[in-house]
Amino acid sequence: MAENQQHPDEADARLLDDLRSVVQRADPVPAPVEAAARATFIWRTVDAELAELAYDSLLDADRLAGVRGDDGPRVLTFEGPEFSVEVEVAEEGSGRRLVGQLVPPAPARIEVRHSGGLLRLGADEVGRFATGGVAAGPVSLRCHVAGADGPPLDTAWVTV
Amino acid sequence: MSPADDGVLVRAAAEGDQAAWDALVKRFGGLVWSIARAHRLSAADAADVSQTAWLRLVENLGRLRDPDRVGAWLATTSRNECLRIIRRSGRQVPTDLDLDTVEPTAIQAPPVDAGLLAGERDEALWQAFSAISERCQRLLRLLIADPPPSYEEIGDLLEMPLGSIGPTRARCLEHLRRKAGITTASGGSE
Repeated sequence: MAENQQHPDEADARLLDDLRSVVQRADPVPAPVEAAARATFIWRTVDAELAELAYDSLLDADRLAGVRGDDGPRVLTFEGPEFSVEVEVAEEGSGRRLVGQLVPPAPARIEVRHSGGLLRLGADEVGRFATGGVAAGPVSLRCHVAGADGPPLDTAWVTV
Repeated sequence: MSPADDGVLVRAAAEGDQAAWDALVKRFGGLVWSIARAHRLSAADAADVSQTAWLRLVENLGRLRDPDRVGAWLATTSRNECLRIIRRSGRQVPTDLDLDTVEPTAIQAPPVDAGLLAGERDEALWQAFSAISERCQRLLRLLIADPPPSYEEIGDLLEMPLGSIGPTRARCLEHLRRKAGITTASGGSE
C-alpha cells in the first residue's frame, strides 16, 4: 500500500483507477436495469408532440424555502405547443393518484403510461381527468384531444 | 468511440434502429447509474432515475440539439431526476460546505456479493469510498464514470466552479486514502 514514493498526480491517478475498478465490480448496473433501459425503446414515437415539464413543485424554490406551504400534493405542469397539462400527484398506498387538467379546457382521451402498464381514461368537457392505480416510477400521459387532427400530445416522462 | 459516433447512434436510433439504441444503453448505462448512485439513491430509486432518463431520451431522440453530446444530455437529465427524488424524500441536497463531513457510521456501504472484490485492499477501498462525504463521493463517481464527463460537465452537474474541481479532487482522494488506510506512514484509518 505504499504510494509515498510516487508523484502526487500519479498516485492520485492510480488511486482513481483502482477506485474505478472496485466500484465497477461492487456496484455495476444491475442487469434488470440495463434490460429495462433497452426496452424503453418500444415507447419511441415519431408522430407525437412533446409537452415539456415546465414546472415541478418539488423544485420550486419558494416552496422549498417555506414561503409557500409544502403540504399540498406535488404539482407538475407540462407545456406543449397548443395545450398544457397540469397534474397533481398524490400518494395512494404504494401507488399514485393523478388529478389533472388540460389547458385550454378540452375533452380528450388520455393514456397513462406507467411501469404498471397502460391506463385509459377520459378528460371531461372542461378538460379534467383523474385516476388512481398509477405505479410509483416513471409516468407519461398521452393525450388525444377530441376534434384535433394533429398528433397526440405526450407529457415528458417524470418519476412520480 | 468518439462523440461523432455517439451522434450517429442517436440519429440511427431516432430512425428506429434498436441496435443503435442498445449500443447507446451499453455505452451510457453506467454513466447514468453512476450519477444516480453518486446521489446516494437506493437501488430502487436509482433504477427509477435510470428508467426515466432513458425514457426521456427516447422521446427526445429526434429533438436533441446536439446529438454528439448525448452523454452530457443524459448526465444532466439523470441529475435532475435525482434532485427530484431527493427533494421528494425531504433529504437535503449537499452543498460545498460538507465536503469534509464524514458520513455517519450508521450508513453502511452497500453489501457486495462475495467474490466481486478480490482482496483486502479492494474491500478497504470500497468501504472507505462509502464513508467519505457525500459530495466527495459524487465528484469521484463522476471522475471514474465511463465515459468520463468533461471537467466542464462535472462543474455543471455539481454546481462547482471549474477551478475548484482539481483541488477538491485532491482533497477527496486524500480523504479516501486516509479512510482506506493507504497512508504514507502509520496507516491507521480511524
